Amino acid sequence: MDFEPRYTAEQQAFRREVKSWLADNLPDGLEFPADSEDLSYGGYLQLRELGRRLGSKGWLWPTAPAEYGGGGLSIDHAIVIEEELDGFDLSLPPYYDSGGRLGGASVLVWGSQDQKDHFLPPIFRGEVRTWQLLTEPGAGSDLAGVQMSAVRDGDDYVLNGQKIYVGSSHGAEMLWTIARTDPNGARHHNLSWFMLPTDSEGITIQPMDLLITSGEGGAGTGTKNTIFFDDVRVPAFNLIGGENSGWQVATTHLELEHGSGGAIRRNRMVDRLFECAAQLRRGDEPLSADPEIQDLMVDVFVEAEISRLFGLRNYWMRHTGQKMAHEGPQHSLYRKQSGLRAAETMLEALGPYALTNDPRWDLSDGHMEVFQRSSIVAMHPGGTAEIQKVIMARRLAIGRQTREQAGRLE
Amino acid sequence: MDLSLTEEQRLLRSAARDFMEREAAKEALLEFEQSAFGCSDEAWQTAADIGWLGMLVPEEYGGSGSSLTDAAVVYEQLGAGPLSGPFFSSGVLGALTVYEAGSDEQRSHWLPRIAGGREIVALALTEPSYGWEPERVRMRAQPTDSGYVISGTKLFVHDATAATTLICAVRCRDSEGVTLMMVDARAAGVTARPLTGFMGWVGEVTFEDVEVPADAVLGEVGDGWRPLQAAFQKAAPILCAYKVGGAQSVFDVTLEYSRSRIQFGTPIGRFQRVQDHIVEMVNHLDAARWTTYEALWKLDAGRSDPTSVHLAKAVASEGYYQACNHSHEVHAGIGVAREYGLTLHTRMSRTLYHCLGDPRFHRRRIAQTLGF
Repeated sequence: MDFEPRYTAEQQAFRREVKSWLADNLPDGLEFPADSEDLSYGGYLQLRELGRRLGSKGWLWPTAPAEYGGGGLSIDHAIVIEEELDGFDLSLPPYYDSGGRLGGASVLVWGSQDQKDHFLPPIFRGEVRTWQLLTEPGAGSDLAGVQMSAVRDGDDYVLNGQKIYVGSSHGAEMLWTIARTDPNGARHHNLSWFMLPTDSEGITIQPMDLLITSGEGGAGTGTKNTIFFDDVRVPAFNLIGGENSGWQVATTHLELEHGSGGAIRRNRMVDRLFECAAQLRRGDEPLSADPEIQDLMVDVFVEAEISRLFGLRNYWMRHTGQKMAHEGPQHSLYRKQSGLRAAETMLEALGPYALTNDPRWDLSDGHMEVFQRSSIVAMHPGGTAEIQKVIMARRLAIGRQTREQAGRLE
Repeated sequence: MDLSLTEEQRLLRSAARDFMEREAAKEALLEFEQSAFGCSDEAWQTAADIGWLGMLVPEEYGGSGSSLTDAAVVYEQLGAGPLSGPFFSSGVLGALTVYEAGSDEQRSHWLPRIAGGREIVALALTEPSYGWEPERVRMRAQPTDSGYVISGTKLFVHDATAATTLICAVRCRDSEGVTLMMVDARAAGVTARPLTGFMGWVGEVTFEDVEVPADAVLGEVGDGWRPLQAAFQKAAPILCAYKVGGAQSVFDVTLEYSRSRIQFGTPIGRFQRVQDHIVEMVNHLDAARWTTYEALWKLDAGRSDPTSVHLAKAVASEGYYQACNHSHEVHAGIGVAREYGLTLHTRMSRTLYHCLGDPRFHRRRIAQTLGF
């Protein structure tokens, strides 16, 4: 076993190349607000510029196939890039994008050659940012029950309906979605999967007012939106995987969203807790000298380590093409639950300091306060914690003779 | 990065599985549970002949000098039984302690015997004032003309009654540090007595004016704690692997039961309340597995990191314990019937919970290693 990339001479040279490239190409004055809703438009544009620069090197999606604009690189190279970016508090991609992480994978598995050639390069090169449009007011955990309709009309489909909890601040160029193409069809055989440009006529984007936003990993995405479709025409070419096969196409990105993509990023909240506890004084001693507080900090550390290892395992499985079963939803579930427990422990350890972002008394540039909110919100994107358990049970074949197969990733 | 076992390790695993099927099927394990030694003589000797008691003994001392991960792969399968007997006490903890603390002469004397299964070594460290910190070692050794006389009680000594030699931790009058001594378990004045209750193969050892020759001191007088800690760092993750094997086995049998047990006209695993228990189990199992194997990898790769060892020990002990609890919830009545076999694990998860320090102890150590 080897829990780290093996740094061959070639890879060490690659690390030097990445380091020096980043030194030359990182835009100045990047913003790192605790609450991603505070990212300015200018700050967002800088991140997009970084994405395009990384994309032109094949480093934005390093393990995606080179023929479609990815890097075609090994997992060990990808880790080198992630590690070097992590040093700047950045990750791949440096902004919210459902195209490269999720939708692109579905196109790769289910798209025709023409569709792959058309849709994938702009995604993997960072030329477009893409949002996913899945949840509807009446279809949350029961995603297969979406009601948005898509009706064939000549060379187009006409889409009508409403999607919620979509995207991020500052817009996106492309969207992907699932809609009903057979209103009378059997469940899971009545949907189709579409890519479409955001500037299609008939699309209305309306920001939502939420406690905070949080992606699967707890990383904020900025403002979420409601999107209304009023007779939006989408070329039939944009339907991926065949009419009424949309659920099958979705299983690929759902698999990834349910944790199968893995993660190798450090959990900064643990370090922040340690820093806050060292900084706060109770009498003459720092809070971190109190054995009871130390116990609480160790509790957070232990669970963060387990979560890190689940993410590392999944990252390895994903990028080496291992067959996965319960591992994806397990990581998702553990990350969600341990995050919520960590928030409680932080509240216990730091007291009301954990709840304020008052400029005078805040200990962590707002991160603690944001985490108190985001750990709640993070329980639900990409399937609630309870849904992750349901998927785990099916994958493990608890009470069943056969295991449910994971969504196809390759 | 590669989180898979090597080809050689897969072969080891399969050999260990074959061994368990032949020597330690459920019926045999239920018999072993009643025995003082913990397993049959055949199982012990076969394991020794295959080389599993000498995996951590360097080749020059009659072992195979395997990596810790290799040994863990084997001990994980022993834990899957769980196979009781002094395998870990002698073949892992005993061998490592002698290796870390002993002079070259002592290594040459003891290690081939441990590897061959002819000597069975157990660590007699803890006392009635129980704990795994050096301050807890109070038993004294009085110097004499030819060596020492030791008196006192060692409590909760794993495999005490199976041992032929006890590695006894004492304090000599002329030194503040802990001294390790190789004490013949059959020497006059040594009495090992098994403790009854919800534990197995854990004993009390009393020493009454036991004469110990000077050359029985393992390494240097007063310098026993440092090598003992070095041995703990390597041995603990292998004990964790044993628990991982136990938790895996409990998980496997519970999953199967969820499919075959019918209530309300359906397999009970279709009920989400039942599923929740099994989901919790697999989380404990996988957490134990990956913390354990990462700690082993770090040790084998020469990047010693005490934090990862303490992490693995805390997580694996809790994981095995909780896996058993959840399994009992899924099984209900049948799970507590001894012949079913689950209680072999439940008992073992309790027996090993404190061995080398309980989870609370290791969590406290993490606070230290992280520098709070």
